[in-house]
Amino acid sequence: MENVKWVWKYIRKYKLRMCIALIFVLVASALSMVTPYVSGIIIDKVIKQSHHDMLLKLCMLMLAATIIKSIIRFSYQIMFETISQGAYMKIRESMYQKLQNMDFKFFDTTRTGDIMARMTGDMDTVRHLISWVIYMVFENAAIFIFAVTLLFTINWQFTLAMLLVVPFLAWAAIRLAGDVRPTFSAIREQFSRLNSVVQENISGNRVIKAFATEYIEINKFDKENEAYRQRNMDSAKVWSKYLPIIDALAGTLSLIILIVGGILTINNKISIGELVTFNSIVWALGNPMRNFGWLINDIQRFNASADKIREYLNNESAISNIEKAAKKEITGFVEFKNVSFGYDNDEVLKNVSLKAKPGETVAIIGPTGSGKSTLVNLICRFYDCSEGEVLIDNVNVKDMDLRTLRSKVSVAMQDVFLFSDTIEGNIAYGVPDAPYESIKQAAGIADADDFISSLPEGYDTIIGERGVGLSGGQRQRIALARAILKDPSILILDDTTSSVDMETEFEIHRTLRSFYNNKTTFIIAHRISSVKNADKIIVLNGGQIIEQGTHKELLNLKGYYYNVYQSQYGDFDGLDEKEVG
Amino acid sequence: MARNKYDVDEELLTKFKMKDLIRLLKYLKPYKLTMFVTVLLMLTASVANLIGPLLVQNAIDYKIPAGNIKGLVILSGIFVVTLIVNAICFKFRVILMSQLGNNVVKKIREDIFYKIQKLPFSYYDSRPHGKILVRVVNYVNSLSDLLTNGFINFITDMFTLVCIIVFMLFINVKLTLISMIGLPPLFICIMLIKNIQRKNTQALSMKQSNLNAYIHESICGVKVTQSFAREEQNQGIFHELNKIYRRAWMRFVKANFVLWPIIETISTIGIIILYFGGIFWVKGITIGVLIAFTSYISRFWQPISNLGNFYNAMINAMAYLERIFETLDEEVSIENLPGAIPMPEVKGAVEFRNVSFSYEEGKKILDKINFRFQPGSTIALVGPTGAGKSTIINLLSRFYDVQEGEVLIDGINIIEVQLESLRKQMGVMLQDTFLFSGTVMSNIKYARPDATDEEAIRAAKTVCAHEFIMNMPNGYYTEINERGTRLSIGERQLISFARALLADPRILILDEATSSIDTRTELALQKGLQGLLVGRTSFIIAHRLSTIKNAHCIMYVDNGSIVERGTHDELMAARGYYYKLYNSQFSVMEAG
Repeated sequence: MENVKWVWKYIRKYKLRMCIALIFVLVASALSMVTPYVSGIIIDKVIKQSHHDMLLKLCMLMLAATIIKSIIRFSYQIMFETISQGAYMKIRESMYQKLQNMDFKFFDTTRTGDIMARMTGDMDTVRHLISWVIYMVFENAAIFIFAVTLLFTINWQFTLAMLLVVPFLAWAAIRLAGDVRPTFSAIREQFSRLNSVVQENISGNRVIKAFATEYIEINKFDKENEAYRQRNMDSAKVWSKYLPIIDALAGTLSLIILIVGGILTINNKISIGELVTFNSIVWALGNPMRNFGWLINDIQRFNASADKIREYLNNESAISNIEKAAKKEITGFVEFKNVSFGYDNDEVLKNVSLKAKPGETVAIIGPTGSGKSTLVNLICRFYDCSEGEVLIDNVNVKDMDLRTLRSKVSVAMQDVFLFSDTIEGNIAYGVPDAPYESIKQAAGIADADDFISSLPEGYDTIIGERGVGLSGGQRQRIALARAILKDPSILILDDTTSSVDMETEFEIHRTLRSFYNNKTTFIIAHRISSVKNADKIIVLNGGQIIEQGTHKELLNLKGYYYNVYQSQYGDFDGLDEKEVG
Repeated sequence: MARNKYDVDEELLTKFKMKDLIRLLKYLKPYKLTMFVTVLLMLTASVANLIGPLLVQNAIDYKIPAGNIKGLVILSGIFVVTLIVNAICFKFRVILMSQLGNNVVKKIREDIFYKIQKLPFSYYDSRPHGKILVRVVNYVNSLSDLLTNGFINFITDMFTLVCIIVFMLFINVKLTLISMIGLPPLFICIMLIKNIQRKNTQALSMKQSNLNAYIHESICGVKVTQSFAREEQNQGIFHELNKIYRRAWMRFVKANFVLWPIIETISTIGIIILYFGGIFWVKGITIGVLIAFTSYISRFWQPISNLGNFYNAMINAMAYLERIFETLDEEVSIENLPGAIPMPEVKGAVEFRNVSFSYEEGKKILDKINFRFQPGSTIALVGPTGAGKSTIINLLSRFYDVQEGEVLIDGINIIEVQLESLRKQMGVMLQDTFLFSGTVMSNIKYARPDATDEEAIRAAKTVCAHEFIMNMPNGYYTEINERGTRLSIGERQLISFARALLADPRILILDEATSSIDTRTELALQKGLQGLLVGRTSFIIAHRLSTIKNAHCIMYVDNGSIVERGTHDELMAARGYYYKLYNSQFSVMEAG
């Protein structure tokens, strides 16, 4: 019921159209009574009483009714399809919107294949319900009710006798509904799993080939594929138990006509013409009954899918705007006040405090897993800190409008994701209407203009998803250009140039500095050369700041930074005297 | 290679062919017996069903006018038997059909999945992954209905048709002929609609594919989207794609829905003609016969409209089938040659002989590369990004085939050996550090599932990953997500490094394996590796030169050629490219 209410929310908008469509259904169902009714008259009047002159008129009536019914039926089918497509689109779009706005944590813990399963297979069951099941229910109910009414007017005792099957039918239907539901949920669950295995297999194709582990993948897949088959069979077993019963109950109607109707006719309680009418209307009772079982199947299938979709829609993003969020310009003062953060029980940042002014460059260095990326992720609120506060221009980021915040903070993430689009489209991802010159300029700053221009199609080259076809360094530079083009107040470079050679990297940083003299820049890097000119260098270890200061100051500390410096340049004593070309 | 993006329809390479259908039927071949039994069941059921009207006709014509209640009871008894027979047939038919359908779907999915395992990188590189995904999962599912219900219904409908016609002929030949007058116009209508339908279904399947590809990409790239606050923009694109899809859908259903009214109208005309015929033209028709006939006629049009539905379903399925078969027929450009031998245990001598290579025609990435190394050598490749370093090592594992020249390992041309036996002995650490969903342990053991936990932990320790893994909530048994989100890239690199090491490869290839790892960890790692590298040939690509100084040979790659080679000392003495590169890291310290 919950699920029906939920779907109703999306259909409500089309109430009027829905009403018209349902009226059409009623009219069409009423019209479908005409043929059998007229048939009865033909038998009684035309044949038995030899009113042959009536035949043509009656036949024309039949034909007219059929044609009108066909047209009406076609129109309401289209109406229902329009409504369902409208609602379906809305559902899909709200789901998409939900996904676009879910927090990082959700994506860290949810498999892509699982999301895909809900966006495709489950969505389709919902569409099926709206476009097909709803009007089938109405159509069948209407036909059934019309038939019963018609039969009542002819002979109510006989009609009641026929309706005796209904309680049995209801019993079977309720049992079916109860038993089949869990099997459909199991199918959806397994479908998700199958989808995830295939999805990962496709995404990980390079690794699989590199290790020649196709056989492992095939084993994984076989297991899920077989389980999926099994779940489908489980379900088939349930409905194969009830559907024949329902079908037989519908068939019993004809039996009642034969025996009860026959006896009534013999006893002159009804005319033979009436018996014929009953006989020709029996389908109008039997078909809805037969369809009932299938419809219950469909409805339960929908219920299973709707549960899965709603599970996502009801998910609240942990990161969302508060009311009256501040929407002002951002100048670039960044402050961390006693910030701690952990994923679940795993504490990543411990009591971190730091300050940065516009125009300053803050470099962060430290061992793998020391919390560098986490630290910068808190600035644009990809996660919320568990203790302390992150302030931008003295406003807590939690009190700022998320869109304003993110549009003024630009992150070039270490995990480069490019879209299957042209290079131009990728660089302009954050500023879709950017003119070509600015795109080229941003690419120039990221030192990507040269290699892009050397491609046969230049900026119009389509690159594959995740930027396949480009080298790591090239991908990084496109991602960097993308971040630069946004013209942010705060620029964050999260190990963005690790695959770029040192000289290029250095050039990039130098260009950036000249462009960003009024902006705040955070740089995460491993090479001393990239961080040494920063206004402030922070050394993170185990989630804590263990050293901070300028290059010179840190060297004098002879601590972690000094050690890193030594290992990178240690063999190059007397660097200062060295003559360089 | 032409790449496809989400809003571009894929080209359909094959035209509608009877061949596809026959090919699909081949999947049904192992189930001949099941199909036979199912058809038998359905036929029994349809005969049982058809007896009903006969019984009613008999009652109305003879038993009721005669007031023969006993006769009625006998007829009812027969009726009950037909109902029971029908129900039993129904039940077993459903089970057998589901079995058949699900088995075939499983088999097709298996085939397509096995097939994509063999497809080269270029296949994956040239289209959005979402489009591949829907082929394996959703498209195959779409066939299931055709397979479970479609074919068997088709056979039984055909039989029912024949049965009805026989029954009708049995009762009255002239009336039968009159009743069938509607058939020719119907077939004309179906032929007319056919082409429109086919076009519509294909369009629909392509729009659907585009939409799915976009959804998939949106999910994978959601972090980028959020950091660029581009959600609204994407929502707009998604809305547009949805609208296009809806338009295609409406066009598709309209053509489908139009068939039914046509059938119904023709059917009514049939009944009208029957009445006229029965009353005016053909003499001596009883009421019972007429009733039986009208009843048969409505049953006669039922299978015909089912045939219409079957036809629709088939057209739909064909659109998917084409995509599936297209994938199955995709050329496997890299596969075992006939008579390929298993690669003997690799000692590690590696040789490139005049190797040239290009991804796209006319754009040479490598030009006549020559080198030769003894087993156990450590070879470093340096040079600007895009110079061809990664390509060289990709050729070594035969991820691509060379266009000219030969790649030899231990003197054996690698195209002559079995692919799997070759790759199993190479440990490649790619720039792309893909991890699978599962535990850290299962990821490290990925290439050697039979390794013990101790071995895995030893590998992790060697690459200095042990410490951070132990810091995770459940240590080695912490569940990680696909692509290892939440782990930093450096951590992911270390795990995939451990994975490569545990595979105990004869040739180790490190493509910027440590680019995101901090210097101190890297140093420790190198120390750990030292022992492991003895006796193994290894290729290293790195930008941090400290990593490669001790290599036996350093090759400077620029523009697809090796412009310099030698040891660190030799190259420094030569004062060429390498010298410049090496010094640049210090010059940048000076500058600034």
